[in-house]
Amino acid sequence: MATEIVLISLLKILVVVLTILTCVVFLVYIERRVSAFVQNRVGPNRTGPYGLLQTVADVVKLLMKEDIVPRNAYKAIHDLAPIISIGVALSTFAVIPIGDTIELFGRQIKLIIADVNVGILYILAITSLGVYGITLAGWSSNNKYSLLGGLRSSAQLISYELSMGLSIVGVLMVSGTLQLDKIVQHQTTYLFGWLPAWNMFLQPIGFITFVTAAFAETNRLPFDLPEAEPELVGGYHTEYTGLKFGLFFLAEYANMITASAVITTLFLGGWHLPYVEYVGLSSFILSLVYVGTFCVKVAAVMMFFIIIRWTLPRFRYDQLMNLGWKLMLPITIINVLLTGIVLLILH
Amino acid sequence: MIEQILHSLSLFLPETTLTVFFCAAIIVGLVAGRTSRASLYVALIGIALATWFAIQQAGSSEGIFTGMVVVDPFATFFKLLIGMSAIVILLFSLYSAEVQSTAHRHIEYGSLLLAMTLGMFLMAGSTNLLMMVLAIELTSLSSYVLAGYTREATDSSEASLKYIIYGAVSTGLMLYGVSILFGLTGATDFYNINRALATGSVNATALLVATIMIVAGFGYKISAVPFHFWTPDVYEGAPVTITAFLSVASKAAGFALMMRFFKTCFIDANALGLPAGMWASLQGFEWNKLLAILSVLTMTLGNLVAVWQNNLKRLLAYSSIAHAGYMLMGVVVLSDKGLAAVLIYFIVYLFMNLGAFYVVMLVANKTGSEDIDTYKGLGYRSPLISVAMVVFFISLAGIPPTAGFIGKLFLFAALLDAKWIWLAVVGALNSVISLYYYVRVVRNMFLRDPERNAEPVVFSAPQVVIVLALLIPTILFGLFYSPIVELANASVVMFGMK
Amino acid sequence: MNVETIFFYLLGAVFVGSALMMVTRRNPVIAALYLILNFFCLAGIYLTLHAQFIAVIQILVYAGAIMVLFVFVIMLLNLSDERRLSEAISFKKIVAGGLSVALLLELLYIFVYRKTDLPTLNAERSIEIGTVESIGRHLFTKFLFPFEVTSILLLAAIVGAVVLAKRRLD
Repeated sequence: MATEIVLISLLKILVVVLTILTCVVFLVYIERRVSAFVQNRVGPNRTGPYGLLQTVADVVKLLMKEDIVPRNAYKAIHDLAPIISIGVALSTFAVIPIGDTIELFGRQIKLIIADVNVGILYILAITSLGVYGITLAGWSSNNKYSLLGGLRSSAQLISYELSMGLSIVGVLMVSGTLQLDKIVQHQTTYLFGWLPAWNMFLQPIGFITFVTAAFAETNRLPFDLPEAEPELVGGYHTEYTGLKFGLFFLAEYANMITASAVITTLFLGGWHLPYVEYVGLSSFILSLVYVGTFCVKVAAVMMFFIIIRWTLPRFRYDQLMNLGWKLMLPITIINVLLTGIVLLILH
Repeated sequence: MIEQILHSLSLFLPETTLTVFFCAAIIVGLVAGRTSRASLYVALIGIALATWFAIQQAGSSEGIFTGMVVVDPFATFFKLLIGMSAIVILLFSLYSAEVQSTAHRHIEYGSLLLAMTLGMFLMAGSTNLLMMVLAIELTSLSSYVLAGYTREATDSSEASLKYIIYGAVSTGLMLYGVSILFGLTGATDFYNINRALATGSVNATALLVATIMIVAGFGYKISAVPFHFWTPDVYEGAPVTITAFLSVASKAAGFALMMRFFKTCFIDANALGLPAGMWASLQGFEWNKLLAILSVLTMTLGNLVAVWQNNLKRLLAYSSIAHAGYMLMGVVVLSDKGLAAVLIYFIVYLFMNLGAFYVVMLVANKTGSEDIDTYKGLGYRSPLISVAMVVFFISLAGIPPTAGFIGKLFLFAALLDAKWIWLAVVGALNSVISLYYYVRVVRNMFLRDPERNAEPVVFSAPQVVIVLALLIPTILFGLFYSPIVELANASVVMFGMK
Repeated sequence: MNVETIFFYLLGAVFVGSALMMVTRRNPVIAALYLILNFFCLAGIYLTLHAQFIAVIQILVYAGAIMVLFVFVIMLLNLSDERRLSEAISFKKIVAGGLSVALLLELLYIFVYRKTDLPTLNAERSIEIGTVESIGRHLFTKFLFPFEVTSILLLAAIVGAVVLAKRRLD
């Protein structure tokens, strides 16, 4: 029995990691196509059908490049930093439910790698570690632009982590649990008998602040100051080449996928497709539909990420800090307070 | 649960008041503008009110908030003491050149003083390891910052930094001790710890190690040797007002917590055949011997080093270390009489030590120096202040007819009562040493000629009133000491103890 | 020997090792990184004791927030390797070393020859205690008061930080 559990878990991990890695490849392609569309260009269209193999070619190029470590860099840390980044990006997925249970080979399997009862805290804890990858990369390169990029990112991530954590508090209060699959379960009900009880509707302020914070945490525009090209050359990964640069690149997109998955799970009803339970599908098909729903929702959020990136300008550094501390933080605290009051009145 | 909490809140009025005024001081300061004194007045009102509410609680004896803190005569006594010294300190602050020169930080000054007072109030009543640590931390955090309050002066920043480093180490040690004690007994509540220890199943060595570590935390608060290293530098560098506050209130709170901790945790509640008012230490664990060693070390080192000091603040710092040593003697004897003697000593110490610091502050305001040479011929330049200083100093030395004598008298009486002759002899010898350095200052003031063209030093009426308000009790309690003795005897009662 | 015991010894070994590395490193950033590793081991030990909540909080607060600030400040100050001053073996050092060894021996003695009956918990009860629900319940009933005092402590700390850190000396 024990070995079976271990095997199933390993299998789940393998599937999820491979899926994410494959997704990244397409995500990069989509990002480039969307940016081209926004800027009225064509974008990659030569490699393979519609340029679909462009990213694959890029990956091959990165793999074959020489790994250069600056002479005065701190080698061990320089190697460690991208590993931390990618490790953190992938391990968040462990607690995200990608579907309800599914029946395979006569066994009920929960579509979640680790169903821990402190799921949300786990996500927050792991996210908070992501900053090390960037900071250490910046520091160990022994380059002032890299260091500045690293410092900027620590300051940014610390500032926005607070709002991120606090904007989830409202969700916790509404659903009364830290377990992510229970939070999704809670969102499968209906308000007034017709509106899906997604936390997006129950916690609109929390939703907006969380998405904003998620943008900041994934270093996406308009919050991509750690790697602001005009000012910092390339930011924390200026001194990285080849595979290690590729890992940072991968981590950045993996982070985006993870963030989208977290947003979907916490605010957009997770794997639940409203009204589908009334259709009367067999349980196996239903499970598949749920997994599909999850993927579609995540993809939609990612699309949103990409479009925002190519339509908004970058913040100035002081604007970023002001937004984080003077606007986001008070708003999230007020949201917690309001949620508490409303819950007190309702009960 | 709710009723319990509400009931607890009704007995928690002094601390609630402090909390409310703590927030109020910040808000009022923001509204009134940075350089306004409003926050100081808010703090003054808050502490006065809290002290008044504490006095109202006299006589009640109850554990509140699921036994985290108690309200009992012992705690009330110390709240009164701490509250009074806080009021005096705030009055000092209104006339302190150091505090007034940094007027833009009055908000922080007032609010942190309130927070520190709150921490000390909690220290006076804590009966739980968790609360004990939290209360000490609240007090310490505020005092670290206040010690470095005049940030522009390097010695003030140095004082703050040294205070933090020593504080962090000793708090760390204490926490380690606390966790061992919790591991040994499985309880954080003082009374439950006592019960667990009374079963005799606890390893004595382990208990000793835990106790020594916890004593490190207390020793740091009361500046007992060998945890005193911060004292001279912090006392010298911090603003005089804060130094005075640390030397009286912080020490009092530390003593209150320590006495309660030892008396509730480490005495044998079932010991038979003891005379009334005496207690016995746990069998196989004579912690009072440990405190006796600490006491001898503290007073001897404090007095011997004080002899060499030329800076008045440093001198008073070492003298305050020595006084902590004297007061520890009262805890060693394991009797209500000894405890009462400590309380009496504290009342007396409040007036004489605050008085001495106030005079140092006034002189420093005028001359800009705390050096002993500044005091040459001060007796001719400012007779009233000098006479006051003489009274405070002979009181600190313990010479009749001042209040300091009464404090020492009761301490030694308690020692002789409990047959701690050798300790009494050490204490008496130490008093003789201390006489030398106190008199050295007095000699400088009256038997040395002032520098040429020295102007008379004049002080304003409110300043003189404050001096008199401290001077009169110092003399009066030396002659009519029955009220303070009665107060002390009534205040040794701790909740839940015989 | 069950899995938990194996994990305990494994984590314990790394825990002590990283602590030693942390105090012996000369580069402050590397020392900080070993401290983070140390925190992770501690969190792991909490997990073997079924204290999930504390374990996650340990990572979230210490590794994820406090140490990030540490590393941030170290980098901001751009501290170089600590320079070795001429260190003669002084009387103080011998005393300090002796005291430390004595303390270590005492602690070892306690844990090896204890006759104390430590309060024990059975496995099911310890699983119950580690959950968020149980910690929350205790925090808002029996330990409500210390909880509230902590908030005042933090407020005082904020005010203190403002005093010490405000750049404008106005």
